[in-house]
Amino acid sequence: MAMLFKIAWRNIWRSKLRSTVVIFAIASGLVGGLGASAWMNGMAKQRVKNSFDFQIANIQLHNPNFAVNLDVKKTIDSVNQKIAVIKKINGIKAVTERLKISGMASTANKNLGVTIIGVNPKSEKEVFTLYKTIDAVSGNFFDTQTKNGIVISKALAKKLKVKLHAKIVLTFQDFNGELTGAAYKIIGLFKTSDSNWDKSNVFVENANFRSVLGVPANEYHEIDITLNDYEQAPIISKKIQQKFPAVLSEDWAQIDPYNSLLNNFMGVMMGVFMLIILGALGFGIVNTMLMVILERTKELGMLMAIGLNKRKLFIVIMLETTMLSLVGAFIGELISMFLIRYFGVVGIDLSSMQQGLESVGYSAITYPSLEFIRYVQITIMVIITGILASIYPALKALKLDPAEALRTV
Amino acid sequence: MSVIKISNLTKTYSETQVPVHAVNGISLTIEKGEFTAIVGPSGCGKTTLMNMIGGLEIPTSGSVEINGLDISKLKSNELINFRLHNIGFIFQSYNLIPVLTSKENVSFIMQLQNRPKNEIEQRTIQLLQSVGLGDKLNSKPNQMSGGEQQRVAVARALASKPKFVLADEPTANLDSKATSQLLDIMKKLNEEENITFIFATHDKRVVDKARRIITLEDGKVISDKVIK
Repeated sequence: MAMLFKIAWRNIWRSKLRSTVVIFAIASGLVGGLGASAWMNGMAKQRVKNSFDFQIANIQLHNPNFAVNLDVKKTIDSVNQKIAVIKKINGIKAVTERLKISGMASTANKNLGVTIIGVNPKSEKEVFTLYKTIDAVSGNFFDTQTKNGIVISKALAKKLKVKLHAKIVLTFQDFNGELTGAAYKIIGLFKTSDSNWDKSNVFVENANFRSVLGVPANEYHEIDITLNDYEQAPIISKKIQQKFPAVLSEDWAQIDPYNSLLNNFMGVMMGVFMLIILGALGFGIVNTMLMVILERTKELGMLMAIGLNKRKLFIVIMLETTMLSLVGAFIGELISMFLIRYFGVVGIDLSSMQQGLESVGYSAITYPSLEFIRYVQITIMVIITGILASIYPALKALKLDPAEALRTV
Repeated sequence: MSVIKISNLTKTYSETQVPVHAVNGISLTIEKGEFTAIVGPSGCGKTTLMNMIGGLEIPTSGSVEINGLDISKLKSNELINFRLHNIGFIFQSYNLIPVLTSKENVSFIMQLQNRPKNEIEQRTIQLLQSVGLGDKLNSKPNQMSGGEQQRVAVARALASKPKFVLADEPTANLDSKATSQLLDIMKKLNEEENITFIFATHDKRVVDKARRIITLEDGKVISDKVIK
């Protein structure tokens, strides 16, 4: 067997140019496939992370009827007690409570429909990192006590034509069904990579907001939970649901199915990508190996004549094809790994498409990333491709008649 | 004792509209230790006969018995295995494995036979020394002359300890010096170790060394002379 390995390996280097071309084709195919997958994966991961960090956390609790139209009366009661119970569950990182209603933000120039979110700044910062998007010149996220302070996005400020420290009026329906409102002073301007979300959410402090809204004490519209491992969300959400059957507990995939779809879709996309690339490579390899067999007809005839049986002949051709594929795959993966690591740190800057990307929730700068397991999967897929691609040429070789093969020039 | 017994052997190629009888009813026996040349003009059926003796082609009719076994009845894989253990081949264009050194080319056959590693090592070196290539153990075919490559082919043919060696035009691509060296080596192996050699050849120098000359014409034996 060692000799068969030796023959197969040395055969690869008999035609250095041809083997180099095949290896280069495999390597560049993999760099393209892995690079594109890492890029898409990075974009999707970033979008999902942004959604966890700024928008939905990992688990949310609502009154089961709240989601229909953000009905101000559909609250969760005894929230402090519930939070105390939730915090004791394994895997919980932080919990915060929110008031949340629909309303209208108005300035002298414009009116816009928004979701008004009342937050507890201290616990909010433990669950969400929106405050980190507020730079030094754009105010803060309720760091200082300001009566009726409001944090809105830069995009909304632009649309409402207001600046930091300007006043805007929020109008909404209170707990008793009466239309009410209050003037708020902009104390912070945030910016995430999802411009649509930015334009439709404003933040105020629970303490002030509750008095205007008239929601009873210890009642909130939403409890947001972040976990140590977001993949545990379905399990922990179920546990919470069992503890509080009267409220609706949903994990991130249920709250925002698009995120979950995106996650799964990227896996499928990568599979399809690699299938196309490996398929094309497979045919390339078949073609090369058929050429090889045509060129070595006499030699193969000689090997059969002197006693190399069909099984071993098949192994030699299969080994040659597989090793050729593996060399290409190894080089391709090495280059891919380097490029993905490099751009994973530096990022790929698509600022020229910033507006378009942010309108669908993607960052203009993407950091490609690929799990190590993907590289292992690709190696296995390349081996399988090599084996599959060697079958047809090997069968062709096995059909050779040694006497006839020996007669070829 | 006869090593090869050929009975009423025919080979007809029917690919063309007019069937070609390459070998037409040949019967003969080859004894152990013979140094036999099969001669005749081009197209007389020498190579076809050699191929059938070597189990590379299946006869249309008749039989080839080697040590009493009719090899024309063996299946393809059985034939390959039979060739591995019983027949040594020397080809006109050397046909060594180009990616292996002379030592590896010779030992390859014994590895296919699953011989012990020590035996393979010893026998390989001994065979290459016996053909005068003790200093070319690690040379690849493209680093050797035609004569040297053919001597490696002789060593490879003997490596499997075959019942006989079939050599199809072994000197056709060699100059006279290399031919003479090669023939001397084969003659010596024949005389000292009683190895059976069968040549298909045009080469008068080979014929001159042969102790039996079988002449073919139109697929038939027209003369069979033993040289005293």
